[in-house]
Amino acid sequence: MHVIPQLVVSTILLGGIYALIAVGLTLIFGVMRVVNFAHGEFLMLGMYLAFWAFALLRLDPYVTLVLSLPLVFGFGWLSYRMVMRPVIHSSHNVQVFTTVGLSIVLQNVALVLWSADSQFVRTSYYTVVVRIGTAVLNLAQLIAFAVAVLCTAALFAFMRWSYTGKVMRATAQDRAAASLMGIDTGRVFALTWAVGVTCVGVAGVLLAPIYPVYPTAGLQFVLIAFVAVVLGGLGEMAGALIASLIVAAVEVVGSYVIGTAWKEVLYLLLFIGILVVRPAGLLGQRGAEAIGT
Amino acid sequence: MKSTWPAITFFALAALGPVLVRDAFLLDSLILILLWGATAAAWNVAGGYAGQVSLGHAAFFGLGAYSAALLGTKWDLSPWIGLLVGAVLATACGFIIGFLSNRLRGPYFVLATIAFSQVFLIVASRWRGFTSGSEGIPVPFRPGFWTLGITDKRVWVVIVLVLAVSVYLVELYLERSRRGYQLAAVREDEDAALSLGVPARRLKVAAIAVSAALTAVAGALWAQYVGFVDPFYVFSVDLSVRFALAAILGGIGTPLGPFLGAALILMLETYLRARFGGIGAGLVGIYLIIYGTALILMVRFAPQGLVPLIGERVRRRPVAGAGS
Repeated sequence: MHVIPQLVVSTILLGGIYALIAVGLTLIFGVMRVVNFAHGEFLMLGMYLAFWAFALLRLDPYVTLVLSLPLVFGFGWLSYRMVMRPVIHSSHNVQVFTTVGLSIVLQNVALVLWSADSQFVRTSYYTVVVRIGTAVLNLAQLIAFAVAVLCTAALFAFMRWSYTGKVMRATAQDRAAASLMGIDTGRVFALTWAVGVTCVGVAGVLLAPIYPVYPTAGLQFVLIAFVAVVLGGLGEMAGALIASLIVAAVEVVGSYVIGTAWKEVLYLLLFIGILVVRPAGLLGQRGAEAIGT
Repeated sequence: MKSTWPAITFFALAALGPVLVRDAFLLDSLILILLWGATAAAWNVAGGYAGQVSLGHAAFFGLGAYSAALLGTKWDLSPWIGLLVGAVLATACGFIIGFLSNRLRGPYFVLATIAFSQVFLIVASRWRGFTSGSEGIPVPFRPGFWTLGITDKRVWVVIVLVLAVSVYLVELYLERSRRGYQLAAVREDEDAALSLGVPARRLKVAAIAVSAALTAVAGALWAQYVGFVDPFYVFSVDLSVRFALAAILGGIGTPLGPFLGAALILMLETYLRARFGGIGAGLVGIYLIIYGTALILMVRFAPQGLVPLIGERVRRRPVAGAGS
């Protein structure tokens, strides 16, 4: 069974990237109670950022990664101020359609500006391959995984130990009480949104050297992130992490056993299965789905 | 706006269309307004009246389109039979989806419906042997009413008008019947409705099933009218959003709103096509940017839609208000 090490390595690498996309999504839901349907579009913008920096300025995607942090964060903050803030206290349906609208707008701005053609970031080390035992993997994948793990760990540490992180968790637990304790929840929401967007933007920059870049590139990843987030329990960051690995395992093993064409069906069925059997997810609180919060 | 006069005027004008207008372009617009209006109204049965906001209704639309197209091309059956089969299949799927996701509320329900429609998309685009995969199915043109090979657009107006009025009547039933009131109670506060003995679960599932069946009928007719079924279009989330947007724009939970919303969207589309004609992808992009912006602004500033907004205006004026 020489394929098993390869499957394991592929799962872990893929799971790391999915985790970075998923933690941003689940963070936004946990604190703001908003399902961000535009999450994939922020990923796509991150990919384009890496592509244009590479094509125009010959910047290596990993240099772009560092430079882009304030840019992506600022864009996230701005999108919150312009689009999300007015509806932050509205009903779920209003919020769902606001983020869906945002997703349509961002996708098509990319389409009009940069056309529907697939773009590629071909770095000089594009074909470099790393061997671990019998498993073979691409260098870009390995770097993406390492940075994703680093970012996710940094986010966990930030949420756990920093004062701001504590404030965010307090707001997630009880908005009204947090307000009464003098927490400016409006700023917390803006910050949460911007941090979530930054996570997924970074993921986009990391994915650019591996996957083709086009206006709807975010879609395939965000669907997986939704599965991972619900499986882990909406709003549960640790759950999102574990679930990302499970989803990656389903995808990798599924592709190997039944072929890549049908792998999506597998995780969608997994998704529907969770929603039906235990919508609260692995770590979520039971009954959350019925209150709708 | 409890009055049905605006709706009667609307449908009467639509019925006069084929008598007065000969222009193929205008008739085509009328057909599309009625067809998309009917799908939005069908969405409204679940999303507006039952409060089961779905972004997966394209699944039912595609099911109808594929049933009519496949039965026609594979077994040489009439699209009317395909339409019926599609409606039955969609009802069954509506029951299953409604039943399985019954506990889910808010964003959970939305996510579940998207997942369901994605499963349909993948099956339709990958099952090459049966659905001819991502290439889609060209619907053969066989002249005659029984085979729906109709070139006269005036006949099409009548066909889709029948569908549109039927869906409108379903909405009106929900607006005025005991069941409709019960459904509204479930939508506003399910726990309170349950405590009063309203069979909440049964009502919600039934609303989704009816909504699914009507959407499938629209899908089957659309496939025959357009003549081509593309899985990435008929099962797309974008299409589901379109149904919802028309209903939201016009007025979610109002019977005529979805039709007005559909008319507005089509007018916007036509205007932009005339304005930026020939740019191709750019045109679609600009259209969709406006469309997305409209969605964001609409739910922010007028989440109730245009019909209640106009209704309020009319009611504020004492003379005009007396009628409504």
